[in-house]
Amino acid sequence: MTRLRSLRRPRASAAKPVWGAVFQCLAALAALVARPFRAALAAPVARPFRAALARLCMAAVLLGCGSVSVLLAQDPALVTSDGWRLAEPGYTLQFPRDHGSHPEYRIEWWYYTGNLDAANGRRFGYQVTFFRIGVDPAPTNPSRWAVRDLHMAHLAVTDVSAEQHLTAERFDRGGVGWAGARQGTLDVWNGDWRADVDGETHRLQAVDGSFGVDLRLEPGKSPTAHGDAGLSRKGAEPGNASHYYSLTRMPTTGQLRLGDDRLDVTGTSWMDHEFGTTFLEPGQVGWDWFSLQLDDGTDLMIYKFRRGDGQPDAFSSGTWVDPDGTTDGLDHDQVVLVPGRRWTSPSSDASYPVDWQIQVPSRQATLTVDALVDAQELDTANSTGVTYWEGAVAVSGRIGEREVSGRGYLEMTGYSGRPMSEVFR
Amino acid sequence: MTLFRQFILRALLRDPRRSLATVAGVTLGVAVVLAIRLANTGSIRGFETALDVVAGKTSLEIVGAGVGVPDAQLADLGWLREYGLVSPVIARTARLRAPDGTEHPLQVLGVDVLRDRPFREYQLLEFAQGGREPSAQELLALLLDSRSVVLTERFASRHGIDLDGSVQLIIGDRVHDAVVRGLLLDEGPARVVDGQLALLDVAVAQLLFDRIGWLDRVEIQLFEAGAIDDAEQTIAARLPDGLRVQRPAQRGRQVEKMLAAFHFNLTALSYIALVVGLFLVYNTVAVSVISRRREIGTLRALGTTRRTVLGLFLGEAALLAAVGATVGLPTGWLLAQGAVRLTSTTVNALYITSAATVPPLTLVDVLLAFGVAMPLALAAAAIPALEGSRVTPIAAVRGADRLASQDDPRRSRRAALVAAAFFGLGGWLATLDPVGGLPLYGLAATLAVIGGAAALVPVLLALLRRVGRGVLVRWFKVEGMLAHANLSASIGRLTVSVAALVVSLAMLAAIAIMIGSFRETVTYWVGQTLRADLFVAAAGRGPAGPSPTISADAEQRVAAHPAVTAIDQFRTVDLPYGPDGDLIILGAGTFEVLLEHGGLLFKEPADGRAAMAKAVGADAVVVSEAFALKQGVSVEDTIELDTPQGARPFQVVAIYYDYSSDRGLVVMDRPTFARHYGTQRPGGLTVYLTPEADPETVREELLAALGPDHRLFINTNATLRAEVIRIFDATFAITYALEAIAIFVAIMGVATTLLTLVLERREELAMLRLVGAGRRQIRRMVVIEATMLGVLSQGLGLAVGVVLSLILIYVINVQSFGWTIQFSLPVWFLVRSTLLVAVATALAGLYPARVATSFGGEAAR
Repeated sequence: MTRLRSLRRPRASAAKPVWGAVFQCLAALAALVARPFRAALAAPVARPFRAALARLCMAAVLLGCGSVSVLLAQDPALVTSDGWRLAEPGYTLQFPRDHGSHPEYRIEWWYYTGNLDAANGRRFGYQVTFFRIGVDPAPTNPSRWAVRDLHMAHLAVTDVSAEQHLTAERFDRGGVGWAGARQGTLDVWNGDWRADVDGETHRLQAVDGSFGVDLRLEPGKSPTAHGDAGLSRKGAEPGNASHYYSLTRMPTTGQLRLGDDRLDVTGTSWMDHEFGTTFLEPGQVGWDWFSLQLDDGTDLMIYKFRRGDGQPDAFSSGTWVDPDGTTDGLDHDQVVLVPGRRWTSPSSDASYPVDWQIQVPSRQATLTVDALVDAQELDTANSTGVTYWEGAVAVSGRIGEREVSGRGYLEMTGYSGRPMSEVFR
Repeated sequence: MTLFRQFILRALLRDPRRSLATVAGVTLGVAVVLAIRLANTGSIRGFETALDVVAGKTSLEIVGAGVGVPDAQLADLGWLREYGLVSPVIARTARLRAPDGTEHPLQVLGVDVLRDRPFREYQLLEFAQGGREPSAQELLALLLDSRSVVLTERFASRHGIDLDGSVQLIIGDRVHDAVVRGLLLDEGPARVVDGQLALLDVAVAQLLFDRIGWLDRVEIQLFEAGAIDDAEQTIAARLPDGLRVQRPAQRGRQVEKMLAAFHFNLTALSYIALVVGLFLVYNTVAVSVISRRREIGTLRALGTTRRTVLGLFLGEAALLAAVGATVGLPTGWLLAQGAVRLTSTTVNALYITSAATVPPLTLVDVLLAFGVAMPLALAAAAIPALEGSRVTPIAAVRGADRLASQDDPRRSRRAALVAAAFFGLGGWLATLDPVGGLPLYGLAATLAVIGGAAALVPVLLALLRRVGRGVLVRWFKVEGMLAHANLSASIGRLTVSVAALVVSLAMLAAIAIMIGSFRETVTYWVGQTLRADLFVAAAGRGPAGPSPTISADAEQRVAAHPAVTAIDQFRTVDLPYGPDGDLIILGAGTFEVLLEHGGLLFKEPADGRAAMAKAVGADAVVVSEAFALKQGVSVEDTIELDTPQGARPFQVVAIYYDYSSDRGLVVMDRPTFARHYGTQRPGGLTVYLTPEADPETVREELLAALGPDHRLFINTNATLRAEVIRIFDATFAITYALEAIAIFVAIMGVATTLLTLVLERREELAMLRLVGAGRRQIRRMVVIEATMLGVLSQGLGLAVGVVLSLILIYVINVQSFGWTIQFSLPVWFLVRSTLLVAVATALAGLYPARVATSFGGEAAR
């Protein structure tokens, strides 16, 4: 991991913020070289990682605000030298409070994906994501434009029958409130893209020019707290973790905008909300992530790193959610992922496996995942510059003797350009 | 064509000095007109290039009332995104101190690069080497720190600044340490201002420029660039009170309008030189006609038509004008360099801070040079050319057909009547109102007076013939008598060149009187108004544009000095006023201090102080004379001023004299200003000391107390007065320069006229030599003639000049600038200039005198 192993006093590491990024990378490298075995021996921890994480962390590092060291302040909470709180045990997720923003943590996101059907039988996939990237928890500049947080948002709509994948992104500072996130309840926005609640119902509005969604999402199953009561540990050191929960099956209705068409749609969405401060993970080339909703009521999330050295990654994991909401963590060695047919992006030349086979031996599950449309690549050149594949998929297969099918979303990163661990630099 | 070559070209080449003088006259005329045009364009362009940098791909911009766009109001303007991309901007100027200790002015752009990326190109050197542009995020990463600044590669390499090197930004009185985080490539915005550009994050810019809570403007790049009219209208309708939407070019137009009167008057002045230069063309063609009457006669006898003869001489004029205009083009560009230097002091002191550069010559300039010079030259040459075409073959062969000398008293009377009519017309024109803020009728009035003066010239010459003889004979004996006789015999020939000289000298006298009066007035005003002991201003503070502010810390240190008894905090902002959006200056002063210590000179009402006392803390203002005149506002009127809350009424309680700006000043009490425009740091402090304190000592002590972290200019009363007069004199330097050129050309005109006369009288002169006149006597005679013409022209010029100066002071000045100037005669200057003219014309007579002595006996045969 990229964090220094030693705990420091705040002033001991008062490096200029601009040099923070460089310092952090050097420190990470030093830590890696000095303790090659320790990392390998680290206990595998259930921790879902997302491409978003990488993007956020990269943004944070680029902006020179990567946390360099960790200290134990008088406050019982763990706080980094530059003032961000670290995720640690003892935090109890409460709703609707924890749908809201947690500005004391550096990184936070609200991640909506889903599969939708129009009345005329057309199928669609959508993705709306809001990110908050902390830059400076207490800017000294009293200007309203001083950057405390940066706000990033991605929107994508897949028109399955037209094999069309439309994307848009936004990247803004809070400024005069043109982007932001409220505390205490779900209300996060970037320009006129917004996610908030009406009672229990989530409202999701994101239209960019000629396409977008305006949806109402019912909570469905109660929130799934990942890891240890919502604390998703990411390493052996205290604080190297995030608070993380999902709404895995949200009945969805609303309108989908596509050119001049305004289509009434229904379907199922998946929402992730995660906040924490330290995340980085060098040595990883990229990752593949699945969120699957099966027609028997089972939801499955699987996440696997691809390492440069070909070794299995200890941090890969998954969560099995039974129809009644019971959850079961999956370790990296409990899941087998086999990539199949590949699609090569004409714009980035990246070759993505768009068909997968998933085996979960402990559940006697064998599933096939097929991309509904091959071309579901996002190029976020205007914000982070990371190219990744995120799109709607169809699932079929067996659990034990039962035939199952379903829908879901697949995310693949690190197939284009530099390995993610280099992007971090 | 052959005829033209043999008859005209050969003659021109035979007398190269005269030809050169003529071409030089036209050249100077064209050059001066062009130089002023280029300099005027340059000063506006200097501003507009800065505008371009900031405008980028902006289609529309939101601006606020005077102090800018409040952040708080912007929060509710999220709907702007329906129209296009939206980017907040702080655009200011600062000074940068390079590592070598030198200081340079810079345009500073404070933006949110995340939003601004689509508006402007930001190509950074360090990324270009990797073959790509930085992403918005990478740019932001460079700028986020409050010490970060991005400069241009051109600027950095010029001043030895390295990437990640340290520099200091001087903004207001503060000196900020900064680190150069990036270098913009020499393209796009970096190039148009010659690299004098610094890029900051908008939050950092707000902090450094004391603009927390305010933006200078919000720019919009429309999604549909074609729908700009619709967008402008609908946005205007949706904007809250206090905000306006405009096109970026609007700011350029405002500045153009602001400078229009100043530029118009310069342009008018520049044409005098051209007109005078064209008198030379007249002279040359006249000489050409006269010196070759016999040849013309021969040509006519050989069957050449009158048309051909006319064409020949018009061709000569056209040739001279063409050569003059051709040489005038580059000369004008060179002169413009000087003109820009001379005018930029004024423009910077009174209007806008802009890096004025001379724009390159364009086709328009070429067309202007030829389009003005050629027709005017042909018109000027028409009279002598017609005269030449009327030469009869026989008369020419006889050599007896000389232009008859007008010895007709009726002619004089008629000329006097014409002059009277001109003067009457001028008087009437002087009473008319300006057109669009420009004194067009006033200018017409001066032209009428000039016409009248020209018409008076033959009358004056006739008078000289009648009464001048006695004096000349008494003073100069026989040479005087001969000179008198010669001049008397050539009144018709002399009229035009003397008129040219009279006009130039009259303009000089008028301008000298106007400037002298103005200077007296300003000196008196400065003496009355500048009562304070010390004047504290932030570095680089100008009278217009966003002025840098004085920090609270610096102000406290000044106030803490034991000798300081009172401080008037002054702050000015530009504010569009009235239906045309004239950029006026809105000022905020501490009225209580002004009332107790200050010395404003009130025009109205009689007890201005009592009236001003009523304005303390109230929604009431005192306005400058220029504002009252230009906007047609009187005491007790209510005016509407834009405020961040929308238009608000303010009562005008008094009008005061002010010569610091012709744009018009509206001044309100500081608390009133703060109530409407928010609390703003002052841009200047006027400091009053205890009677026993020595201002110079206190100044030194204050500077020491402020230390190296604060950069303030502290003027004592004496140095500020000297500075005011220095700026004043700098402003009028160009006026004198233009006039000097016109007079130089006019004197050349006298010389060529005399040459004409001398050539015409070659037989007489030869005869004089035959009857025993010495070369010295002949020379003396011609020099006396020249001097006579000079003195006479100066006499009439002075008289007409006084009349013209009245028009300048009471009509043109009032209409252009709105200032009351007390008339006063700069006697010494006028005496000196009279002597100078006499000496200069005497010297100008030397060349024709030498030619005159060359005619020997053979010429008489």
